[in-house]
Amino acid sequence: MNHTAEAVRAVPPAAPVLRFLRPGLRPSELLEREAVFSWLLLTPPLLFLVAFLGYPFVYGVYLSFFQRQVASHAHFVGLGNFVELWADPIFWKAAGNTVKFTAAATVLKMVGGLGMALAMNQNFRLKALTRAFLLLPFIVPTVLSTVAWQWILDPGMGLINRLLIVSGLVTTGPSWLGNPTLAMVSIILVNTWRGLPFFGISILSGLQTVPADLHESATIDGAGAWARFRHITLPLLLPVIFIVTTFSVIFTFFDFQLVYVLTGGGPANATHLMATYAYSLSMNSGQMGLGSAAALSMVPVLGLVLVVLALYVRKD
Amino acid sequence: MSTASSRSITRRNLLKTAAIGAAGAAAAPWIARQAQAKPASITFMRESAYVKEFDEYFQNVLATTYEKETGIKINYEIVAAGGAPAMTRLIAIVENKAPVDMAWGQQEWLYREALVDVSDIDEHIGKTQGGWYPEITRLSRWDGVWKSVPHGNIGQVMVYRRDWFEEAGIKTFPDTWEEFLEAAIKLKAKGHPFGMSMGHGYADNNSWLFPLLWSYGVEVVAKDGKTIHLDSAETARCVDYVRKLYKEGCLEDCVGWLDIHNNKAFLTSQISCTNNASSILLSAKRDLPEMGKVIDHALNPRGPKGRFHSLVPVTHCIFDQTPDPTETKKFLAWLLDPKQAAGWYESADMYYAPFMHHYDHSPAWNKDPRYPVLQKVLETGKLWLWPAPTDRKAGQTINTWVIADMFAKACTGASTKTVIADATAGLKQIYGQA
Repeated sequence: MNHTAEAVRAVPPAAPVLRFLRPGLRPSELLEREAVFSWLLLTPPLLFLVAFLGYPFVYGVYLSFFQRQVASHAHFVGLGNFVELWADPIFWKAAGNTVKFTAAATVLKMVGGLGMALAMNQNFRLKALTRAFLLLPFIVPTVLSTVAWQWILDPGMGLINRLLIVSGLVTTGPSWLGNPTLAMVSIILVNTWRGLPFFGISILSGLQTVPADLHESATIDGAGAWARFRHITLPLLLPVIFIVTTFSVIFTFFDFQLVYVLTGGGPANATHLMATYAYSLSMNSGQMGLGSAAALSMVPVLGLVLVVLALYVRKD
Repeated sequence: MSTASSRSITRRNLLKTAAIGAAGAAAAPWIARQAQAKPASITFMRESAYVKEFDEYFQNVLATTYEKETGIKINYEIVAAGGAPAMTRLIAIVENKAPVDMAWGQQEWLYREALVDVSDIDEHIGKTQGGWYPEITRLSRWDGVWKSVPHGNIGQVMVYRRDWFEEAGIKTFPDTWEEFLEAAIKLKAKGHPFGMSMGHGYADNNSWLFPLLWSYGVEVVAKDGKTIHLDSAETARCVDYVRKLYKEGCLEDCVGWLDIHNNKAFLTSQISCTNNASSILLSAKRDLPEMGKVIDHALNPRGPKGRFHSLVPVTHCIFDQTPDPTETKKFLAWLLDPKQAAGWYESADMYYAPFMHHYDHSPAWNKDPRYPVLQKVLETGKLWLWPAPTDRKAGQTINTWVIADMFAKACTGASTKTVIADATAGLKQIYGQA
């Protein structure tokens, strides 16, 4: 489609704009014009984005250059907040944790989601119901499901340790949230559990677009199940996997609720992520400027991910 | 620049001026009336009380009585309990100038500048209600001006299972930290470990860690609010002590606990002792009556320098955006008059220990033999970071868990020297000495 030509048709030259307002023009005629109608549709989401994303983001950028404490005036400090964070070991600990958490959870979700999609693509009884149930972790509010996970991971009363003890694997269950390494493993697993349906359903939709005749031809040519998956299914799914993964990286990088409810960033900052650290600086310690700088320091990494996505889509 | 025409008095200008003047004169009494009119309502934000009768008493008795007496409706805005939600809401109210007139303040060191001077109320209460416990004045009075009216202290004490202690041959609660350690080892050996919180909570961690440091003579930051004293032999002794207590006497999980976790562990019989408010006892009395009979409270053990407790204070603050500070102050003064306040404190089973000496011998303390110890906390209670000023830096130290993390790191493998060095570096950064 020739987008340029369409755009020229959609936006007439400046003078005719006044024609929209000529006497006797009926509203239905006005709505018929693509330029007017498209802007009418675009305006509400645009205003929403400006109000709830654009303004906070710009205000956050502004705050990051000021020493601004709750209930006090702001003092311009330039890059002072970033310099302070550079020398802050907790900031680096949180940054490292965020990268580890995002990488591990995303890989697990990607592999698990692919498996889930392949299983859901088979024909079996109660398939529709099973698909609906698989969406549950994604539907239940994070805070609620995380409180349930608090109980599941409880050392004495928790389901996991009970199962381990009953099955005879251990005599005393481990401390899932008290041991720094296990605490990180736990938040990765809970994030994976919650994010798996997003991958599963998205990849399933991609899977259903893979033409059946390709598989049939390959089978006739003697290709086994693995060869068909490796050379037909996977290459055709890659664009979907790539986009879903990119979105997941962004969601996981910014995860806050899960850690906030489950560990608060402890023990000894072992599970502190950038989002929880920025929150503790801003909303608990009242250091709005420093907290904004901490939150903003995530942007370059995410920006890079978005650039990669944009380049990929453009190439496609 | 003036011109001849603008200076001249024309008939039209004269008529215009006269009309405005007449309208102004006619409206003046109405404007004055409006200026003097009582507000239709006062909005009061509070954290939800662990004792639901406390909130119910306010809503059903106090708010309705005040409305009957004055015609002013009291909007009672409750936010979730647990420290963090209330703090977030308080900061949002201050930052957004939200239409909230007053609140039950916590950590007001973060937003004192946004509060109305309430010296008149505090001084009146001080004179008529037996005087204030002195430590709380370091929080509520700042630069000679009272910025909040102290309400009550959430008494943090040792909560323990008397039956299990007796089974282990411990008839009275340990008097010193060394005896406390011995008891923990004995109880753990019998399958009833202690659970001493060290995670990223807001009360149950600091409320035994700071008293431990103080009782060994450690001042984290000096009274001048500048000199950092943490790096000392006494701190090292405390760190070693906590590591040993954790390894030999505690449930492993407690190193990462938030404030709710020790309640849960205690009420599910996983631990035999923790440091907490009376919420464990109150929950057990309500929901687990058999356990409620065998729970007891005790003061913190003492160290070489004495016995200490942490204050977890709540105060009442009036925000400077209130359109009518006088009426809001009148309501606050009315609320804290013993005619109203005594019943309110009592409705919560003295969960909030009043900071006024007037209530020291209130019969409400005798409702349960385990309550008086909550009042005793006021005698040895100090504000976190004592003796340093209760300023923003102290707030940041608490809210970035510098001290709790020092102990938690030691318990999870780091050396004493490393954890003290890390905590000292963190303090230096906060106190601007990095």
